[in-house]
Amino acid sequence: MTAYLFYFLSFVAIFSALLVVFSKNPVYSILYLIITFFAIAGHYVLVNAQFLAAVHVIVYAGAIMVLFLYVIMLLNLNKEDEPHKSYLAKIAAVICAGIMMVVLVASLRGTMQTATKSGSEIGFVNNLGKVLFNEFLLPFEISSILLLAAMVGVVMVGKADHTTQPQDKK
Amino acid sequence: MNALYIICGTGVFALLAEVFSWKKWINYVSLSGLILATILTILDWRSVSYRFHGMVYYDHVALAFTALILLASIFWFWMSRDYFKGDEHTTDKSALVFFAIAGAMMMISFNNMAMLFLGIEVLSISLYVLAGSDKTNLFSTEASFKYFLMGSFSTGFLLFGIALVYGATGSFSITTISESTSPLISSAITGTQSIPRFYFIGMLLMLVGVAFKISAAPFHLWTPDVYEGSPTPITTFMSTVVKIAAFSVLIKIFSVCFARYAHSLQLLEQGLMVVTFIVANIAAVRQKNLKRMLAFSSVSQVGYLLLAFSSDSQHSSGVLFYYLIAYSVASLLAFAVINLIEIQKGSASIDNLKGLFKNNPLMAVAMTIAMFSLAGIPPLAGFFGKYLVFTLSLSHGFVALTVLAVIASLIGVYYYFAPVVVMSRPSDETLSISKSDRYLLIILIAINLLVGLFPDLVRVI
Repeated sequence: MTAYLFYFLSFVAIFSALLVVFSKNPVYSILYLIITFFAIAGHYVLVNAQFLAAVHVIVYAGAIMVLFLYVIMLLNLNKEDEPHKSYLAKIAAVICAGIMMVVLVASLRGTMQTATKSGSEIGFVNNLGKVLFNEFLLPFEISSILLLAAMVGVVMVGKADHTTQPQDKK
Repeated sequence: MNALYIICGTGVFALLAEVFSWKKWINYVSLSGLILATILTILDWRSVSYRFHGMVYYDHVALAFTALILLASIFWFWMSRDYFKGDEHTTDKSALVFFAIAGAMMMISFNNMAMLFLGIEVLSISLYVLAGSDKTNLFSTEASFKYFLMGSFSTGFLLFGIALVYGATGSFSITTISESTSPLISSAITGTQSIPRFYFIGMLLMLVGVAFKISAAPFHLWTPDVYEGSPTPITTFMSTVVKIAAFSVLIKIFSVCFARYAHSLQLLEQGLMVVTFIVANIAAVRQKNLKRMLAFSSVSQVGYLLLAFSSDSQHSSGVLFYYLIAYSVASLLAFAVINLIEIQKGSASIDNLKGLFKNNPLMAVAMTIAMFSLAGIPPLAGFFGKYLVFTLSLSHGFVALTVLAVIASLIGVYYYFAPVVVMSRPSDETLSISKSDRYLLIILIAINLLVGLFPDLVRVI
C-alpha cells in the first residue's frame, strides 16, 4: 500500500513539476507548483514526518505561493516583454543540466537506503522539539539573527529615501 | 564564543539605537564592541573547545581567523566612517554589518553543517542588502540583485551537497562525517562496505558552492559587477572579511570534514586554480576602473590561495593565514585610498589618480605600497605570502603549477603598476585628506611593512 502510494505521489510530483516548466502561462505554472508541493508533503507523511508535512504545506503552498502570485500579478509579465535568450545559451543550459542529471542519477542508482533509521517517531513534534532545544539550540537561536537581518534588509530596501524624493517635505 | 555574543549584541544595539535615539553613540559602541570581541577571542586562545553539543569548535585556526576578521573589521570601520554618516539608514547599515560579521564568525568556527549554512546565509543576506545600500546609484541596485541571484544559486548547490553528504553519512556533524568515512568505522555506521557514490557528488556540489563564495573562476562571474557597483566600503568588506570567512570554510570542509578524500579533490582544486589564474589575470589587464581591476585582482589572489591549499590541504592553514593577512592589509589600504578619491572626485576611474604623487604624497605612497604588496614586491607582506605559497607547492612537487603561478604574478605586476604609473603623471587637481584618514593610512602601511619584515607570524598556527 505504502509503496503504491509512494509511486503515485512521485508520479504526481514529477509530472506537475514538468508542467510547471512547460506551461505557457505563469499563473498555471504556479498552480502546478502547488500540486508539486502537496505531493512532496505527502511523501513527508509517508516517512512519518507529519510536522514537516504540515509546515511544508503552510509555508510553501500557503505563504510562498501567495508571494509568487503577487509578484507575477504586479510584474504583469507579457510575451512581448520577455527577454529572448539566444539558442546557444539555451543549448548550453540544456547540456549542463543534462550532464548534471546523468551524474546524479548514476550516483543514486542502485544505492540501498544507507542513512541511519532511528525509530518511526522521528518526525513527531515532540521529538523534533527535543532535538531542536537540546542539540540544535545554537542554530535555532542563530536563525533569529538570520531572520532579523532579513527583516532589517527588507525594510531598508523597501523604505523610500527622503533624500531621493525632494517633494517629500520632512 | 563570547565574541559572537558581543557582535550579535552590538548589532541588536544598533537596531535599538534608532528607537531610543542613541545614534550619537552608535559609532563608539560599534568600535568598542569590535575591540572587546577581538580581545575576548585572543583570551580564548588557551581554551580550545567544542561548544553547544559540538555545534561550534574553537581551535587555534578558528580563533586566529576570527581575530583576523575582527581586526580587519576594526580598520574597515575606521576607513568607512563616512559611509555611516548623514544618511537615514545609519542604524540599519551598522546592524547589518554586525550581523554579517557574526555570520562570518560562524562560518569560521562551525562544526556542524547547520551552523555552516546559517553562517553563510546570515553573511550573504546582510551583504545582498548592503551591496544595494546606495539607492541613488543604479549600479548599486544592479550589484545587489546580481549578488542575490548568484548567491542564492550557489547556496542551492551547497545545500544540495550537504543533503547528499547527510544522506550518505547520516550526520551533519563535521566530526562524525570525517570519522564515518574512515575505512574502519564506515562499515559499522552505514552498514555497508563502502561509502555510497552520491557522497562524492555531495562533496563536489559543496565545492561548487564554496567556489562561488570565494569567487574562484569559473564561478567568479558575479565578482566584477558586484565589486564595481557596490559602495566602496562594502566592496572592501567583501574583499577582506567575506573572503577570509569563505576561505576558512574551504579549509574546514575540505581539510577536516573530507580529509580522507583530499587527494581526489586535489585535481579539481588545481583545475579551478589554473582557470582562475588565466581568466582573472587576462581580464584584469584591460580594466579602466580601479574597483573592477581590484575585483579581478581579488579573483587572481584566490588562485594563489588555492595553489597553497591544493598542494597540501592538511598543513596549509598557516600559509593561508599569512597570505590572507597580507592580502587584507593591502586591499584595505588600496580601497581606503580609492574610497577617498571616489568621495572627492565622484568615480573610481583610473584617470582620477593623475598627479597624486605631487598633490598628496601620502595617499600616493599608500596606493603604491598596496599595489606593490598585491603584486608581490619584497620586502612587503605580499611578497612573503607568495614566497610561502610557492615554497609549499614546490615542496610537494607541483613545478608546472608553480611556474604558471609565477607567470600569473608577472602579468599581475603589469596591471598593479598601471595605477602607480598614472599617479606619477602631472595634474593640477588637489585632494585633501583628513587627519584621521592620514593616521589610518600610516598605520596600515606600517602593518604591511611589519608583516612583511617579520613573517614569523605563520608559526602561530
